[in-house]
Amino acid sequence: MSAGLTGGVGAFVEWRRVAAVLAMAAPPLLALPLFVSEFTAHVLAISAYYVILAASWNMLAGFTGQFSLAQHGFAALGAYTSGLLVYHLQTPLWVSIPGGVLTTALGGLLLGLLVLKMRTIYLSIATWAFAETLRITLSAAYEFTRGDLGLSVPSLYGHVRPVVYYYTFLAVAALCLLFIHVMLKSPIGYFMRAVRDDPMRAQSLAVDITRVKLFAFVASSAMAGLGGALYAHYVLTLTPSIVDFSEMARIIVMVVIGGLGSFIAPIIGAPPVYALNTWLAAWGEWSMVAFAAIVIGLMRAYPAGLAGLISAVWGRRRSGKSFL
Amino acid sequence: MTPETGWLPHASRHLGAAKGWTVIFSAELLVQTVLSGLMVGVLYALMALGITFIYSIVKTINWAMGEFYMIGSYIQFVAVHYLLGARWWWLAAIISAAGTFLVGLILEPILIKPMYARPMQRRDDYATVVTIALLLLLRSLAVALGGPNQYRPESDLPVVWIGPLPQEGARVAAFVCALLALAVFWIVIKKTWVGLALRAAAQNRVAVQTSGVDVYRLDAIAFAIGVALAGLAGALLAPLFMVFPTNGAVTTVKGFEIIVIGGLGSIPGALVGGLLLGLAESLGAAFISSPYQNVYGFLLVIVVLIVRPDGLFGERGREA
Repeated sequence: MSAGLTGGVGAFVEWRRVAAVLAMAAPPLLALPLFVSEFTAHVLAISAYYVILAASWNMLAGFTGQFSLAQHGFAALGAYTSGLLVYHLQTPLWVSIPGGVLTTALGGLLLGLLVLKMRTIYLSIATWAFAETLRITLSAAYEFTRGDLGLSVPSLYGHVRPVVYYYTFLAVAALCLLFIHVMLKSPIGYFMRAVRDDPMRAQSLAVDITRVKLFAFVASSAMAGLGGALYAHYVLTLTPSIVDFSEMARIIVMVVIGGLGSFIAPIIGAPPVYALNTWLAAWGEWSMVAFAAIVIGLMRAYPAGLAGLISAVWGRRRSGKSFL
Repeated sequence: MTPETGWLPHASRHLGAAKGWTVIFSAELLVQTVLSGLMVGVLYALMALGITFIYSIVKTINWAMGEFYMIGSYIQFVAVHYLLGARWWWLAAIISAAGTFLVGLILEPILIKPMYARPMQRRDDYATVVTIALLLLLRSLAVALGGPNQYRPESDLPVVWIGPLPQEGARVAAFVCALLALAVFWIVIKKTWVGLALRAAAQNRVAVQTSGVDVYRLDAIAFAIGVALAGLAGALLAPLFMVFPTNGAVTTVKGFEIIVIGGLGSIPGALVGGLLLGLAESLGAAFISSPYQNVYGFLLVIVVLIVRPDGLFGERGREA
């Protein structure tokens, strides 16, 4: 492999098309919060946060075939690292948030090394065990993390007006998606999909699958960590319940409803799922019952997800060009 | 006593004031710790056996395993508290296992079977998402019906003295019943026609189908047996670990850790892994620090993965 892992980054990106999509998407997204209530703006902000998590998981599971179940764990790692840095060392936020991102990248590297040689199903199990262990540790080490009592963290801008945070999450989500798009259009992105589809053949063609897998693990963990660290300074209280498996379940549901392994899956999957969650919340605990039942029904009736539906319609017009 | 940190074996209570990282050593404490570790280990093995058994036939991981554990523990509580009384705990445990068996038998054709109508690459995605949704559904159903409260079925079993060492009656009872259940499982798998068909399906689904056996019915039976093992574990552990909507989570982690240690599809792996995990946990809790009891299992996993990346009984090759 003469070009190296990151050689030719952005080689096949059609920057004009990217700019056109951004120019079309930006005005409505930026103007949106001006017309809605404060609560809706909050829902939008959290939706954008879930777009970050869903996009990072989609990169790992959908494009590299590493069905990790620890993405919520990495988000929590970023959140707790940033929160604990402020709580114990009184560091400013511009130190603590990058600190959270670095810690999650390192955590992703270590976990990635551990599960490197595992088959899909073992990888899921081991990462799941990691996330649950993290949750247990966070509540057991309550003297350091304040456990279930909750860790108070300062807000990002000194206030919690949702609109500002909506713009923040939106910008970060856009950056993450742009990063993933550039990766996918570069040699590394093709290596990632080769590793997903047939690792043996990829290896025989001199793709360094170890480095590709580790790169995907580290990049996606860091993204989740960044999302988590920002989220911490918006919700202001952290408890180990953010590593509850239902968080991971929500991310998976978002991506799969969007269409696993399709670039737009997190964009079209996360906001509707979170909005549905919020809307159903009026029914209390029955809302989750209804939500789960809807997901099961959707999976049974229409397994390809929304992206499949859109690309089917698109394909009829554009003669089968893939929606990437 | 929170559920996460409250699972102290008897041994650790003797430590009393010795908190933190102080190491106290005595032969009696060691024997007692090993005993209680082995006892709980068998229960964890039951859980792992259920996961492995379902995987070897249905070829999918049931992520909602802990929720079947939870269903078992709720049935046990209702049966003991409202219907039968503490004396009939063993009958309640049988009812719990049978109840979860039925739930599994009904749910499998509705939820898992459509997996086979999907193209090969989409099956894992489908099964994962559906069982994860089932996990959410059952958990929230438990909160909606029973509230987030913790319950505990009464237990009038006396403390059992093994030599000079006391052991909780419910713990010993759970251990004995788990051994009995393993024996019954072994007889069903080795001696009955259904067991033969199940073993055949684990080896080659198409061949079983060719010989005129309805392989989808076998799937349902295998799924039901697997979740019944989890339900039984839930019922037996209910007096020790309490009954609440997410009580299956921690035990399921143990089940999955055992599988990483022992290897997926390996029954000896599940048993040996279970005992090892139980030991690691109770020794760690007694001699290192008890609040971190549920973390030692994962440390064991890391050690096993570093020493033997294929697991102890990794005959199927984990590499892609």
